[in-house]
Formats: sequence, C-alpha cells, structure tokens
Amino acid sequence: MKKMTETSKLERIGFRIFWQMGTIVLLAVTIGVIFNQIRPDRLRLVADWSVETQLAQELGQNMLISLEEARELCSSKRAIFFDTRPRELYEQAHIPCARNLPWEARDEYFDRVMGNIPQDALIIAYCDGETCSLSKDLAVELFYRGYDNVRVLVNGLSLWVEHQLPLEKGPWPGES
Amino acid sequence: MKHLRENANSSLRDYSQGTYAPDRMPEKRRRWNWTKVLPFVVRLILGAIFIYASLDKILHPGAFAQAIYNYQILPGELINLTAIVLPWLELILGLFMIVGLWLPGATFLCTLLLLTFFGALLFNALRGLHIDCGCFSTSAGTPSDIPMAWYVLRDGVFLLLALYLSSHILFRNWEVLDESPRQQRSPL
Repeated sequence: MKKMTETSKLERIGFRIFWQMGTIVLLAVTIGVIFNQIRPDRLRLVADWSVETQLAQELGQNMLISLEEARELCSSKRAIFFDTRPRELYEQAHIPCARNLPWEARDEYFDRVMGNIPQDALIIAYCDGETCSLSKDLAVELFYRGYDNVRVLVNGLSLWVEHQLPLEKGPWPGES
Repeated sequence: MKHLRENANSSLRDYSQGTYAPDRMPEKRRRWNWTKVLPFVVRLILGAIFIYASLDKILHPGAFAQAIYNYQILPGELINLTAIVLPWLELILGLFMIVGLWLPGATFLCTLLLLTFFGALLFNALRGLHIDCGCFSTSAGTPSDIPMAWYVLRDGVFLLLALYLSSHILFRNWEVLDESPRQQRSPL
C-alpha cells in the first residue's frame, strides 16, 4: 500500500485533534451551562465584576472617589491615603501622601499604621490596575472595623502616573 | 495481504518446529514494555488530577469565580462563564483520559489548559501578585500560606507530563498512519 505523504499525515492528525478538542469544549459548555441553569445557586452567565459594583454589593453604598478629588485631598492633607500593594512596590513609587498598608500583611502592619488615626478620618485606599481588588478589600475591612469614611481610588497609581502627578519613592517616614 | 501470509507461515513454521509455546516466549515479551506502560500511567495520573481539580469547583462556582477574578487576567464579562464551563471541561477531560476516549484531542486540550494555567501563575508571580491559585480547592485560604513558586513548580510538573503524553500520542498517530489498515494499532 502506498504510504501517506508527510503533509497529508500532519493534516489528518491535526484534523483529528482539532475536531476532538472542539467537540470536548462544546460538550463542556453545554453541560456547564445547563447544569448552572438548574442549580439553586446559579451564577449569572455575564456579571459585572467592577470594583464599584463589588463595593456596592458588599456595603450597599458607592465608596469610589475620583482622581480630581483625591488629588485635592492629598495636596491639602485632608485625607489619609493607603497604598495597599506590597512593601517593595510601595517603595518603588507611591502617591506622596500615602502610607503603606499591604493587604496581604495587614495584620502585621495594622496597629503600627492605624494607631493614631481617628475612626471618623477620611481614608482613601488605592492599588494599581483596573481589576486590582486590594484597595477594595482593605476598604471593606476598615469599614467593618468602624472606619465609616473610607473611599477607594480605583486604578489609583496608574491614574496618578497618567496625569503626570508627582510620585515619591522609599519607605513611609512614620514606619521607623 | 503479503504480511498476513508471512505471519501465518511463520506461525506454522513455529508450530511445526515445536517452538510456539507460551512458556518459551522470548524474554522481551515477558518484561514490562515501558514505552506502553509509562504513557498509560501518565494518562491515568493526569486524568485523576483533572477529575480531582474539577469537583470542588463544580460544587462552589461562586468561590471559583472569585478565584478567577483574583488572577486579574480575564475581563469581567468572561469570569462567570469561565467559572461555569472550566470545571466541567476539566471533569470531561479527566474522564476521557482515564477511559481512553478521544485521546489525541483530550491530551492536547489538557496540555493547552495546563499551559494557560502555568502562564497565568507565572505572570502573576512575576508581577508580584500573590494569589490563592484556586487550582484544587475554592475555599478561601490565606494566600501567603503557600508561596507562588510552589504553585508554579507544581503546575510545571503537570505540564511536563502532559507535554510528554502529547508528544507520545503524536508520534504513535504518525506511526499508525504509516501502517496498512489491517496492521493499524491503537494510537496509544
């Protein structure tokens, strides 16, 4: 029997792999969607995962603040800013009036950083990136700890950089 | 047909010479054939991993959606759909791998998924984002308990297994296509 050429072998194997992959994915989509529709704790197929919606869902209020307001509050020192990213990133660049309260090490930092802040102080949390949830998580945590005047500056550092506002480097002076 | 005739003749010859006896089979036939056993074991391992990984996610889709969100890679519109479909895809792939159904497609899809997971973990590890990987369990643990390097390493090992199996299947399929229809064996 005449042997197949290299190209036709590749085509045949490729075709086999792709139709099988496609059918498996289609099967998973069908079963997944049907199963989701009949289960009591079903998810919506498309949901809004924006920080604004998540905050509104968790706390029942809008806690976002605009860059313009944040900039004014920073220059007039009428608000306390918290950079919720890890320490190394904070030390590379941060908003000038911001202290560092890394979300992942919050227990270690909390007393030291929050010690002298009254519960009615205006607090603004930020991190970096549209979908970064660290600032939202910190805002919710602070809210439940009794700090009712907390706001979130979504995508804070990127916005600050985009608008060519000044940045600072190095550790927070109050840390030592 | 020629090869069949040759095989039949050789069997007859063996019988006629009194050499065709199971207890006198060549040494090679009695030993483990690792080129067959190893891919079989690897596919069982990968199948079991995928099934195990899917179960908790199927039970808790909301928590899995949160884990996907924490990766900060997918756009918000795709998070829920991924949380609904991905666990079933893993379950189906795991079952197909164990049963041995549609192995070329299942294996390549497993490799593609593991490559995606590996890329996502590595991407987050490199940008300093420490997340709970949500690979096997959706329960909210403290992310800092387990270093990201461990997740990346573990996924890297799974990926190597899948790459080995993919290359084996590709090679076997290639060989099978070279044989005549009557000679053709299973691709694995």
